[in-house]
Amino acid sequence: MSGHGNDVANSIWLRAVMMAGIILTVGVIGFAVLGVAIAGQKHHTWEEEHHHYEDAKEEWQTAVANTDISGDDHSAELYIAKEEAHNTEVAAHLSYLTYRVAGMTMLFLTIAYTSFIGLGGFLNASKPKAGDHGDDHGDGYGDDHHGSASPIIFAFGIMVFLTGLPDFIIACKALLDETVAAELGMLGVSVSGLLIIVVAVSNWWFEDLPFIGHGEQIATSYPFEGDHIRKVGLWVFIMSEIMVFATFFSSYLRMRTEWCTKWAFESSDGGFEGCASQDDWVLTASDYLRPGGAKLDGLGESVGDFWTLLPGGINTFALIISSYTIVLALKTAKNTHWEPSNGIMGKLMPSKKVAIRNYLIATLLLGSLFIILKLVEWSHLVAEGFTIGTVQGSIFYIATGAHGLHVFVGLIIMLYLVFKANTIGFDEKNAQGIEYFGLYWHFVDLAWVVIFPAFYLY
Amino acid sequence: MSEHAEFMGKDVYFWNFIVLMFFTLFEVGAVFFEQIPKNAVWGILIVVGLIKGFGIAAFFMHLRDEHKWFNITFMFPWIFVALMIWGIGLSNPEGVSGLPSWCTPDWTYATER
Repeated sequence: MSGHGNDVANSIWLRAVMMAGIILTVGVIGFAVLGVAIAGQKHHTWEEEHHHYEDAKEEWQTAVANTDISGDDHSAELYIAKEEAHNTEVAAHLSYLTYRVAGMTMLFLTIAYTSFIGLGGFLNASKPKAGDHGDDHGDGYGDDHHGSASPIIFAFGIMVFLTGLPDFIIACKALLDETVAAELGMLGVSVSGLLIIVVAVSNWWFEDLPFIGHGEQIATSYPFEGDHIRKVGLWVFIMSEIMVFATFFSSYLRMRTEWCTKWAFESSDGGFEGCASQDDWVLTASDYLRPGGAKLDGLGESVGDFWTLLPGGINTFALIISSYTIVLALKTAKNTHWEPSNGIMGKLMPSKKVAIRNYLIATLLLGSLFIILKLVEWSHLVAEGFTIGTVQGSIFYIATGAHGLHVFVGLIIMLYLVFKANTIGFDEKNAQGIEYFGLYWHFVDLAWVVIFPAFYLY
Repeated sequence: MSEHAEFMGKDVYFWNFIVLMFFTLFEVGAVFFEQIPKNAVWGILIVVGLIKGFGIAAFFMHLRDEHKWFNITFMFPWIFVALMIWGIGLSNPEGVSGLPSWCTPDWTYATER
């Protein structure tokens, strides 16, 4: 949407800078509590459990060396004690990873939010007002809506970012792993791309913020005559997105139908070709996550249980709830006779404007929770040996990562919607901003409806 | 049920939300009960996925109240989805390991780079 950016006072954009400050503060506090304080304690516990495991292992090795017990005897008391100590150590490690990764993800998410809303607010607050250069746009269009250059600039920024992505990944790896050599110059191209993206997005917001419902571009030809062009464009975009996710799903299915998995073994009465025994099983992500999966610990128990499936399960519910909260935000915006309800909801949402904002904040928080739990889950899988360096790991991380990226992009847009809801506000005349974003968000939910059972349960 | 219709004082969005939550619990539950045959779980996952997909597209995305061209726009790519799943996903699965080396991922290179 191209609107009349100069109709909004610069001071309103400065509120975006303040919002960025609040978000970053929350992120830093979250990181300090989860990623430093609690994770520090968990790390200490992990170290202790590691020593216990080393002791138990040494005791078992000594007994085997003295031929007191056989190395293959998995019912020996010392072997069981060693494996139990190992399981406890693994659990302590994963517990540490949970808090450390959650804290770090919270910090990185809030830095990303701050970069967009803070830089966007700062850049837009610095722009001259309408009166400073003669007309409202300076382009002769007056109040009429017209095409915006922001999407093209945005696409160019993505192109530049992706051009430098391989070097960017190596440089990021070098930050985390001192054995990886990288130069700062490797960040140059991709960071330039990121800056172009931020500038394009902030200009896009600058154009949309003053939009109060008049001047929406209408399609004039069949078959969408009379419909909003933005809405048609979004449906065409969703059409292309369906095909993108279908490529992931079909390639996964192709590989999956060839793999000898525990699931295939059990569902074919042991008759699956090339799948004669447990030794042939290929381990998929669901074998690490769901109860009764094929990944076993040293005692022969499946590592997948209620707790390993929990992050994916919570994420599924989080996306469904967030789909509902965005619907509530739209419904509230379109309601011309809105009245606060009684009880605690009335206190949380005393006015229509606050209600819309709070529903959007709830959606933002649920989406952020999704990203945090997703990365926690990934860290657990990697720690347990399910890395991207295998075919089954590759398709899992690419498919769920592409979905996570869509969630992240949605969160950046949602951040702006929260800002708009808190400043200009939404009502029945300009609610289409929420409606069209909602279509994208529901699509992300729809994609998860396919990904979750296919990659986590099957 | 139109957008404004209500049942037991709640609108269609609320009931759609409840149905989605229920079926999500149902599919997760189906996996936890290991005594259910795997082929039956397969069926449950597919049927529940279709119900949830319909609920999101028809009610949350308002396709039920949109004119036919929006529905056609949404349904059109599913032709390709079906073709991809049938033509790539479910046909000749041994093709993955049977691919010539020049188009097979080099995992050693990918992981060590």
